[in-house]
Parts: sequence; structure tokens; C-alpha cells
Amino acid sequence: MNVFHDAATQVQCESIAQWKKDGKPVVGYTCSYAPAEIFYAADILPYRLRGIETDGMEVGDTYFGPFICSFPKCILQLAGKGKFSFLDGAIITPGCDGMRRLDECWRKAGEDIENIVPDYFYYFDVPHKSENHGMAWYIEEIKELIKSLEAHFKVSISKEKLTAAIKEFNKGRRLLGEVENLRFQQDIVVSGTDVFAATVAGTVMPRDEYTKELKKWVTALKKRKTALNTGKHRVMLVGSISDEIDLFELIEDTGKAIIVGENLCFGIRYEGSEIKEHGDPIEALAKHYLGSSVCPRMYGKYKERLALLKERIISSQAEGVIMQNIRFCDLHGAENALFERDLEAMGIPCLRVEREYGPHIDAGRMKLRINAFLERINGSSKTAKKTKSTEEMFVSA
Amino acid sequence: MSIVAGCDVGSLTSKAVIMKNGKIIGSSIIKSKPRPKDSADAALEEALKSAGVSKNDIKYCIGTGYGREKIGFVNEVVSEIKCHGKGARWMMPSAETVIDIGGQDCKTMKIDKDGNAGRFFANDKCASGTGRFLEVMAKVLGVSIDELGKLSAKAKDPITLASTCTVWAQADVIKYINSGIPIEDIGAGINTAMAGRVAILVNAVKPEGDIFMTGGVAKNIGVLETLEKLIGKRIKRARKADPQIAGALGAALLSMEKLNGNGRNKQ
Repeated sequence: MNVFHDAATQVQCESIAQWKKDGKPVVGYTCSYAPAEIFYAADILPYRLRGIETDGMEVGDTYFGPFICSFPKCILQLAGKGKFSFLDGAIITPGCDGMRRLDECWRKAGEDIENIVPDYFYYFDVPHKSENHGMAWYIEEIKELIKSLEAHFKVSISKEKLTAAIKEFNKGRRLLGEVENLRFQQDIVVSGTDVFAATVAGTVMPRDEYTKELKKWVTALKKRKTALNTGKHRVMLVGSISDEIDLFELIEDTGKAIIVGENLCFGIRYEGSEIKEHGDPIEALAKHYLGSSVCPRMYGKYKERLALLKERIISSQAEGVIMQNIRFCDLHGAENALFERDLEAMGIPCLRVEREYGPHIDAGRMKLRINAFLERINGSSKTAKKTKSTEEMFVSA
Repeated sequence: MSIVAGCDVGSLTSKAVIMKNGKIIGSSIIKSKPRPKDSADAALEEALKSAGVSKNDIKYCIGTGYGREKIGFVNEVVSEIKCHGKGARWMMPSAETVIDIGGQDCKTMKIDKDGNAGRFFANDKCASGTGRFLEVMAKVLGVSIDELGKLSAKAKDPITLASTCTVWAQADVIKYINSGIPIEDIGAGINTAMAGRVAILVNAVKPEGDIFMTGGVAKNIGVLETLEKLIGKRIKRARKADPQIAGALGAALLSMEKLNGNGRNKQ
């Protein structure tokens, strides 16, 4: 497990350093709508840009201003401080407006601070609708990205290589699916913190090494007998982007809860389903990444997202949902309010909290709310046991 | 003799309540000290003194508030949201919605017939809408917090504070003082700004049934009456006990339930 925790809690872990020593390129990306398989096919390490290890905000605040989500600001701060100097390239995607502005702010900061913009700096556009012209547009964007990578890095990204990449990534997806099944059991043998660390690690580690480590870990997990959830409430964590292990620890360290599922940009939702391994790989990638609509950035898909969340609540037997949104995150702020309205109406207790992104920020305030929420679940679950199960609540709602 | 206690160590004040057979026999409110442990010790000592009992007589004690983890003498700790719900229901048995304005945060919650908190909301922005906001403003005006509350009734043309930020609002208030605006009008503006922030949270929880307010700000009549106007509902006044001790009272009530073996509040 340490290899995943090391990868999830450091901007540059050992595996990345080794990759660089071997003379191979690393390209950062910002959003779960950027198909990492394309980079793998070109023997480039796809590295999901992180905000951890930020200890100030002078660069982020200078170029972004104060009234915007702190996650892209943290990325810029790290870039400005040279923490991403190992990157050979970066791809910015309009996951939200804050992320879109990272493209402009990073370039602008690069005019004032030397060597902080990687040689390859690319804006990868993603439409907000997945039907018809949206899908066609996204396929074109993927083709343009491939051409651009091929030209800059002098590589060839053939359809065969893309299919092989899809197959390799699917191995990880299947393994994470097995982890999810373990969390759905009555007795849970793995903490939410460990699962999240393993998922985040998958966005930064070289994929072959990751798949190998994941397989070892899943095999070991299956042999575990001791339940970690005795006397604890099963909760889900959803909302704004987070790569913070601290946030999971904050909830699980109360000793009163175990996280049985999450719907977060860095979480397992991104690896939720397999990609078609036959036919045109670009179309298969587009269908998976754009067609899944798991992020509130996608228009007109609220009902689908609510249905997905309900399905996960039922399968994980979650007793409550913690909804967090980073300050100024309009997408999740609005979506959380809708989720809360609809889930509370079905009898699922929800906690909605607004917070700043960053290590240990707001920990005391968050802890108070989480403890009070768990006390609320404690009361309501006793009442619910006398009446209905979670599934029955949804059926009758 | 089943004597229990509750201790609420807040950011501005610390409170303790001693109960015997379901009745309050002693209580205290002191200004919080730099160390939560010292605040808790001092609050309990004063409450014990007013009750005329000793620490050894306490059969069970629950701690709450921001400093709860640091209290040395408690049997367990519980969140202040749960404690305020309990305390509010004891003070006002018909209460279904509770507004608690503490020193550094503001919460609204629904409670059931046993005082257990259901849905709740807490301020997430900053210090505006909290006791700290009023404390800072009272200091600038050179009046006590009690006097600040009474200024609303005397105001003729209340000012409007442009900013909800405590620091910037303070700059606004200084500007009004220097312009010669009557202190009553400035005080009323401060109370209205405070009530406006709280009203947002009250509306978010969709208040039902009788509304009751706990925390030190519940004693500020200017905020209370303006808040009633803003939410269009009457807020029940505390008569059985000081609303500022509601958290400590709730902790004492939970201690009593624990002592009596009521599993409802088992953590």
C-alpha cells in the first residue's frame, strides 16, 4: 500500500523520478476528460496535475485573483515555485472555468517567471454536450491532440498502440472494480483512505507499474478477514475536485465512519467502467470519456448523475452522503444543493459543506460539521432500521 | 444523588451547567482563556461553586464546543450542534427549529421531539454573522454588547453596511462615527447586517414550527427583532434559562441520559 500512499501524497514520487531517469517524457493534464491512454500509447507518462504540497499562494493569487477556486490556483502556485519542473508538457482542459483560466494564467505567469511553462503547452477543448455534434467535435479534438503530440515528441500514435493502451488501462479498471465490490460487502476490509490513495496513485504512476502493484494489493485485500467498519457508519464523499488524502483521513479518523464510496474527480468514478477494446479506439475513447457525463460540467445530465449516485448509495449501503465544494466552485455548489434536496427527500441524510482546497485547511471547522453529521446519522439510522432499508427508501420515494 | 455536568468551551466564552434530578442547580459563563483546558476548569469551578457541590459529586460530564477535545475532566465529547439541539428543546419544549449564534460560527438546525438535531447548516464564509462580528463592532462603538442590542429601538435612520466582511464593515463603522452619524443609527445598522447574515442560514434550513434561538447573540434584542422581520416569523424568547448556556445545558442533559442508560445518545 505504501507505494500508492507515496504516489498520492507527493507531487513527484519515486516512480516518476525513475521514469525521468530513463529519459522518457512526462505530460501533465488537468481533467478527467483528457484520455490518458493517448499518452501511454506514445510512451509518455500522463501525470494528473495536483495541488498538494502548496504552502503559500503568492503566485496563484497574483494571476488568478482572490475570487476563484483554490485548486487551479494551487497548481499555478506549484508551477510558479518550480515543483512541476519535471514536466515536458502540460495539457489544459476546460473542466470548469477556473481550469480554463489556468491556461491563460499559467502562460501569463510564464512571462514574468522564467522556465515555468513546459515546452509543450496545449489547450485541449472539451465540449459540454455529448450528443451528435458534441461527440463529433470531441473526436476531432482527440485527433488534433494526437497530431500535436506526434509532431512535438516525434512519436507515432497508431490505432494499434491506442488499442493496446485501452487494454492496459482496462486491466486497472477491472481491478478497481474488484476493490469497489469489496467495499459493497457487509464487512469492509479496506478503508476509504486507502482506496482513494490507490485511485489517485493511478493518475500519476506509470501505468504498467501501477497495474502490477494494484493486482498485488487486490490479491492481498481479498485475503483480509478483519472488518474495519465495526461500529462505524458507512458514508459517501462527493463534490468538488479533491486529491487530498487528508480529507478522507479527517472523516475516518473520527473513528465513527468509513467511506464506502466517492464521487470525486480523482476518485474511482473516473475508472468506473471499461472502454471498448474492439473497433475504432478513438471513437471508443470519446464515447467513454465524453459519454459518461459524470461531471456537472456536462449540460442536461443531472438526472443521469443523480441516478448514478443513487445506484452507488444502494450498492455501498451508504447511510449518509458528505457533499463538499471548494469555495467558488459553482458547478459542484449548485449540483450539491440539488443532490441534497433530492436525497434528503428520499430519507438519505446529507451534509453540505463549503471549504477551501489545501492541506489541513479548515480542518477544525470541517471536523465539527462531520462529527455533528455522524451524530445525526447515528440517530436517524436507529429510526430507519425500524422502518426501511436504504433501497426501500429509494423505491418508495 | 445523580448530579451531572456539561461544559461548553467556546471561542469567546466558556460555559458549564450542573444538573441534579433534571434541574439546573448551578451554571457559569466566563470569558474563554487562551488554553481550552484552563477555560473548562474555570467554568466548571464557578458552576460548582454556584451549585454548592464538589467535583467528586459529578457522576457524568460531557464536553462540547471548539475546545472540547482539550477538556481534561469530561467522560466524553459531543458536537455543539447536538448539544444546542438538546438544550434548546429543554428550554423551549415546542421548539422545532434552532438558531445558534456562537462566537465564531452560526448554525441553524431542525430538531425532533427529543431535541436530536436533523438537517443543519453552518456559516461557511467568514466571521460575519457570528458573535465575534458584534464584539468587534461594539468595541469600535465603545458600548457593551448588551447596549449595542438596545440601540436598534432608538434609531431614527439606520445606516446600511456595504460589506459583510468584519474588517471592512469595521472600517465603514469608523467612517460613520467620524461623519457624526448618531451611534443609535450605526448600532441599528450593525444589528441589521448581523440579522441579514443569519437570515440566509435560517431560510436555508426551511424553518418549521416554533423557532428558538440559543447562544450569546440570542440576548441581543436588536438582532432578534430584526431577524424576526427578515424571516417573517416570531422567535420564541428563552425564559427557563439563559440561552447562552444552551450548549452546556444540552451536554448536561446528554450526561443525564447516559447515566440513566438511555442508549439514544450513545456515541
